[in-house]
Amino acid sequence: MRVVRSIPRLWRLIAGVVLVLVVLAGVYLIFGLRSRAAPQQPIEFNHQIMVSVGMECLYCHNTATRSPAAGIPSVEKCMGCHKVIATERPQVQELAGYWERQEPIPWVRIYRVPRFVFFNHSVHVNAAGLNCERCHGDVGNMVETYAVVDMNMGWCLNCHNQQSNASQLKDCVVCHR
Amino acid sequence: MAREFTRRDFLKLGAMGAATAVMAGCQPPRPWITLEPYVRPPEQQLAGVATWFASTCRQCPAGCGILVRIMNGRALKIEGNPDHPLNQGKLCARGQAGLQVLYNPDRLTGPVQQSQRGSRTYEPLAWEAGINTLYEKLAAAGGRVAVWTNSTVSGHLFDLFQRFSAAVGGPSPLVYDLYTGFNGYRLLADVSQELFGRAALPTYSLSHADVILSFGADFLGTGLSAVRYGREFGGFRSQPLGKRGYLVQLEPRMSISAAVADHWVPLRPGTEGLVAGALVQIIAEEELASADRAALAQSLIGGLDVGSIAAASDVPAEELLHLAHAFASASQAVALPGAALTGTDAGAEALAAVQALNLIAGTAGEASGLTLSPPSPSEAVLSPEPAAFSDMQALIEQMRAGQVQVLLVHGANPAYDLPEQVGFLDAVANVPFVASFAPIVDETALWADLILPDRTYLEGWGYALVSPSFDQPAVSGQQPVVTPVFDSRSTADILLTVARGIPAAAQALPWPHEVAFLQETVEQLGPGAAGGSGIDVLWTRFQQEGGWWPASPPEPEAPSLASAPTIQLQSPSFRGGEEEYPYHLYLYPSGLLSDGRGASQPWLQGSPDPMTTVSWQTWVELHPETAEELGVHDGDIVQVTSPEGELEAPVCVYPAIRPDTVAIPLGQGHTDYGRYARDRGRNPMQLVGAQADATGSSLAWSTLRVKIRPTGEKVALALFENKVGVTEGFLNAEFPH
Repeated sequence: MRVVRSIPRLWRLIAGVVLVLVVLAGVYLIFGLRSRAAPQQPIEFNHQIMVSVGMECLYCHNTATRSPAAGIPSVEKCMGCHKVIATERPQVQELAGYWERQEPIPWVRIYRVPRFVFFNHSVHVNAAGLNCERCHGDVGNMVETYAVVDMNMGWCLNCHNQQSNASQLKDCVVCHR
Repeated sequence: MAREFTRRDFLKLGAMGAATAVMAGCQPPRPWITLEPYVRPPEQQLAGVATWFASTCRQCPAGCGILVRIMNGRALKIEGNPDHPLNQGKLCARGQAGLQVLYNPDRLTGPVQQSQRGSRTYEPLAWEAGINTLYEKLAAAGGRVAVWTNSTVSGHLFDLFQRFSAAVGGPSPLVYDLYTGFNGYRLLADVSQELFGRAALPTYSLSHADVILSFGADFLGTGLSAVRYGREFGGFRSQPLGKRGYLVQLEPRMSISAAVADHWVPLRPGTEGLVAGALVQIIAEEELASADRAALAQSLIGGLDVGSIAAASDVPAEELLHLAHAFASASQAVALPGAALTGTDAGAEALAAVQALNLIAGTAGEASGLTLSPPSPSEAVLSPEPAAFSDMQALIEQMRAGQVQVLLVHGANPAYDLPEQVGFLDAVANVPFVASFAPIVDETALWADLILPDRTYLEGWGYALVSPSFDQPAVSGQQPVVTPVFDSRSTADILLTVARGIPAAAQALPWPHEVAFLQETVEQLGPGAAGGSGIDVLWTRFQQEGGWWPASPPEPEAPSLASAPTIQLQSPSFRGGEEEYPYHLYLYPSGLLSDGRGASQPWLQGSPDPMTTVSWQTWVELHPETAEELGVHDGDIVQVTSPEGELEAPVCVYPAIRPDTVAIPLGQGHTDYGRYARDRGRNPMQLVGAQADATGSSLAWSTLRVKIRPTGEKVALALFENKVGVTEGFLNAEFPH
């Protein structure tokens, strides 16, 4: 009796493990891959062109050194240059359309940390001296902007652990306050 | 082989259930979030960094200072302003909910007109067209223009209304709303005038008091300045050297203030003044206080029979003696008058009896005791003083007689606030043109021909003279903290625009816009605690600090008797015979919805009442014994009938009430005023009728008797520990009550 029952139990164990793996793979496919895909933006915006003409990240995302948020440039700021530059391009004409209608551009967010995480750009740029690429990847070579990393807690801690003040930076309340 | 269901199987099944639950929680990923940057960013805005603006709360007339947190141009949170002399950083639930005044989805998105009053079909029109219509009607009406506004109107707009009315020869703007009417603001000021020679609201500092006798004053709920009294109460309970103070609350139904009291005396409704008089009488007779104070007591009161008062009020004579002893022997004793006392037919005498106790206590003007709210620091600063009930009735009579050509309604909602018998709706039908400035269509705007929505207080300019103000005069500043959410316009600007075209008014209102007028007012106030000189600095500091208050608080003014009155107290006369109407009716303003103006805000609707925990509804509080006699339980709908009106609402069995008393909160029963307020609960003001007190100052709403009849119907009450949760209270369609 015991021998007979032990075989299906093994199979059941294997089946269980396979099921768990399938579920995990599914979760990865849904959440993991989705985060890497480049979303459809309201205007086909190309970071590569901007960087190739010598623009700095901070020209547009100019609150990264002063604020928790790096900031998305206002329509007014885009139009500061695009009133005269590349006005024949369809994307720039789309931009001009937003400006004429005085409408904000509904840019799609690429990176997001949960609400209970207090992330501050200015500390990372000023105190830690990180450049933008360190976290955001080689945006200057991206035609379509996408997320290069999944910004989860393990990823944050990987870096925090390597710092000289790691004991402080590992404290929960550094981010969860 | 028959298998048994073993413990192991049970655990396996349990684990599967848990796994299913976890998987079910894994919803499809959230859709992408959009980030909308500014089209043109304001200069001082830094993405991700909040900006705080100082302003003034306008959810009740008190005038607390607030700080509003703004992120990317949106108001996110309202807090108390720690520098403000009135509320000192604190704020009540109503103040916190102010964001929903601003972002209410039922606000009008622009001016509208109604071709047929009450039709609820509003045709949008352009601002220019709306303002032109108003101009034409005002220009044609001459002096036959009446303005009906409320106690939370900004001082500058009230000032402009007054100048306009005076210029065209119309009656002064009428300030009448349920908040001040119910709480007896006018009567309080009238009694101050009679006793102390100055019509000002009394204030009571409690923080050093040994004994407080509160005659039905729900000073922690919806009193005259709940946040400040909350602070005072905090001080009262944590005095130096561990002194805690002794609070006695005398009222027929336990309010939140009675719940935190040391002793609750459930006296018979309407006898608060008699009990205060009896205490004066005992102090006089037994010479409990020092000789001069006992003499004062003797001079104030004319031979009351303590024994009959004990019988009338249902407070034993020994209890009265004990209270008189406690009050007279305290070195710092304070007596607080409540709203119910001002709502009797002889409210003035009852109020005078309570003030007499304060005079006998000898604490008037001291760190703990009665003072009078200081007068305005400048002639340029006006405060909308609530009108007497009889003044309001006089205007309604004029309207009915066709003497009013144009009625302008700003902030006030008389169609909801007033009992039907007062006759507002009949009278308004005889007014050829009615313009409302309501941001949300309320019961009064329903009867308007034209609605020109004003900005809400978080979008508009203004100031409020803090009233009642405790230790110093203070002018609380109001400024726009966000750009207007909808296409609304400041009523003050509209008035200035219209006045330009009316020859009589053009000279009286020469300002190009309201800010120019406000700046003049601030300039006349001069440097206060914030210092500075010159209009630019003064104006900036006024906005930055949240208002103006003096550099050093003046010495508190000790009110002294202007005359030597003898207070004549009589037993209250109740409407409705005891045989037919066996229960006393005790109304009270909801702690959250106050007089009904909070009903449009779902945060306030959904917050449980602090005593019964009911939300979203009107309920009828009955003592368990009474409920048993009537054979009703929680949720059973009863019909409450007074000689003046009737309503149906579910019962909430509430042990902390007298068995002969029925309590109903104000606030619900709106037929308009947005989706959260509409068709929800009942308005108990419809039980009250139109009788004023003997002086005509206030509506006599607290001396009514009612009868109760179970209807046999039942609804679920949305209260804690009931099957119906707070959210369902709103969602469930079966909640007409």
